[in-house]
Amino acid sequence: MSGKKIEVHHVTRVEGHGNIVVDIKNGEIKECRFEVVEAPRFFEAFVRGRPYYELSHITSRICGICAVGHATTSLRATEKAFSVELSEQAWLLRKLNFHGEMIDSHVLHTYYLVAPDFFGVHSVIPLVETHREVVERALRIKKLSGDLCAMIGGRHTHPIALTVGGFTHTPTERELREIQERLIAARADMDVTVDLFATLPWPEFERETEYVSLHKDDEYAFIDGTIVTSDGFSYPIEDYKKVTNEHCVPFSTAKWTKHNRDSYMVGALARLNNNFDQLHPRAKEAAKKLGLKPLVTNPFLNTAAQVVEMVHCVEDSIRIIDELLTRGIKPEEPPVVEVKAGEGVGACEVPRGVLFHHYVYDEEGRCTEANCIIPTNQNMANLNADMQALVPQILDRPQEEIRHLLEMLVRAYDPCISCSTHFLTVEFV
Amino acid sequence: MISEPQRTQRAELSSASFAVSATSSRTMRVAVIGLGNPLRGDDGIGPRVVAELHRRELPEGVEAIDGGTGGLDLLRLMEGWDRVIVVDAAEIGREPGAFARFTPEEVRLRLHEGDLSLHNAGLPEALALASALNHPLPPITLFGVQPKRIGWEAGLSPVVERTIPALVEAILDEVSEAAKSAKG
Repeated sequence: MSGKKIEVHHVTRVEGHGNIVVDIKNGEIKECRFEVVEAPRFFEAFVRGRPYYELSHITSRICGICAVGHATTSLRATEKAFSVELSEQAWLLRKLNFHGEMIDSHVLHTYYLVAPDFFGVHSVIPLVETHREVVERALRIKKLSGDLCAMIGGRHTHPIALTVGGFTHTPTERELREIQERLIAARADMDVTVDLFATLPWPEFERETEYVSLHKDDEYAFIDGTIVTSDGFSYPIEDYKKVTNEHCVPFSTAKWTKHNRDSYMVGALARLNNNFDQLHPRAKEAAKKLGLKPLVTNPFLNTAAQVVEMVHCVEDSIRIIDELLTRGIKPEEPPVVEVKAGEGVGACEVPRGVLFHHYVYDEEGRCTEANCIIPTNQNMANLNADMQALVPQILDRPQEEIRHLLEMLVRAYDPCISCSTHFLTVEFV
Repeated sequence: MISEPQRTQRAELSSASFAVSATSSRTMRVAVIGLGNPLRGDDGIGPRVVAELHRRELPEGVEAIDGGTGGLDLLRLMEGWDRVIVVDAAEIGREPGAFARFTPEEVRLRLHEGDLSLHNAGLPEALALASALNHPLPPITLFGVQPKRIGWEAGLSPVVERTIPALVEAILDEVSEAAKSAKG
């Protein structure tokens, strides 16, 4: 049997730069790994020396997709450091904003990045020709989730109205009602989305791993909670380092993590596995249609779990708005922050998994130390282990098919390796 | 880059997305969208110009919007205006700090090689998607600024910083031209 060598430099339709390297000689796997070649970003260094009120704005620029996630996690870390309590209304608005971004990110990943694999096209742009209604639907859902985020955060991408202890702006009752009507109307798009993804032929592959997520008994946890794992462990958020155990590997600029096994998985699938009971009934129905019943051990189904979460977030957003309207929405001044030396850990389930921000402040409220552990890093070791388990099962397939399946596996994790710049290359004609 | 929270936010709030324009139908609605990441050196020129515009009194119907690294969401930001002006760092083959004004029709914006990702999706990809969908977009003018350094650092390089007054003037000229053409 001849050799197969697969090298994919800069896997596409993922965020940032990662390479797949597989070398097979005489049916034996010589090399099989996922390399992260992205330059380190030094965000921890950026925030050192900065005053507390800047941190959420700086860290929200880490990512153009989960900016609300970074801002919220950052604010939770700061709020814990200074013992700032949020009002009930502020909590509801935080959660609503978070749902908006979750829907926004998931629709991007499921429709724009993953769907093209199943429709045999290389990106969403040619998909317009063959499946225009699919792209139009994706844009419609995206517009709704973006408008929801802008209503609360003040702009579409990097929220400006989120501040320590609450918000500098409150949406009006009319705005809430309008968005709620659109969310109710979006149920139809959700139904079609579930039906569409239920028909997709997901690659068959099972490998059980440890699934790590936040957990709350009374709701599907996105902000705060305790850290739980499918291997039965549970930790307060402050003990996050007991879970992440960051370590370096030679071929990756991203640090790897491990807990009870050699690797663990975070993200929508981990959340669904650990928190299935807390999903909205409609989301549970969607999970049933998509064939998801914990424990789900096929990593390709992370995308299907994201579809379930979209349904959950639409439903829970409708409920939260009901609650805000019943309580009566009114502008609130954020509490006065009493700055003191101390530290705090924020943890949120951002679209790609659990995110930790840990800050140490001096007595003037300047950050002296920061640690951010992003979900994609936590998934790297697990993705690598999946690749090493998958390749022997598909060795006899044509090289092109192996390559495509491995790319799909990488994409299933929805990795966000970097936030690249967006500067233009212009050719004058 | 970021000043005291209240002040920045109030300034943003008065002009950014919350504002429901109470403008008459005859007023030209113009969006000046600054793109880029303030944590990536000269890539931050777009948001920096937007912050500068927020300090000025802008004509009625004109809004300056920090588009950040919005990717394909740009499509949504550009919809619904009479005119759109985009400010972004651009490789235009000139000396650092120089800027050029052009329309998408006048240039070839290089699409990112290979398949589309979202983080490397930007203006060219958003325009390609709009065109594939036949989504009508308003006329767009671009101001591309030649960067000196793009890397993980906050703040612009001095040579790019120095170009801001001239760049802002050029953008405001463009805005008043747009307003005139609406009346004409």
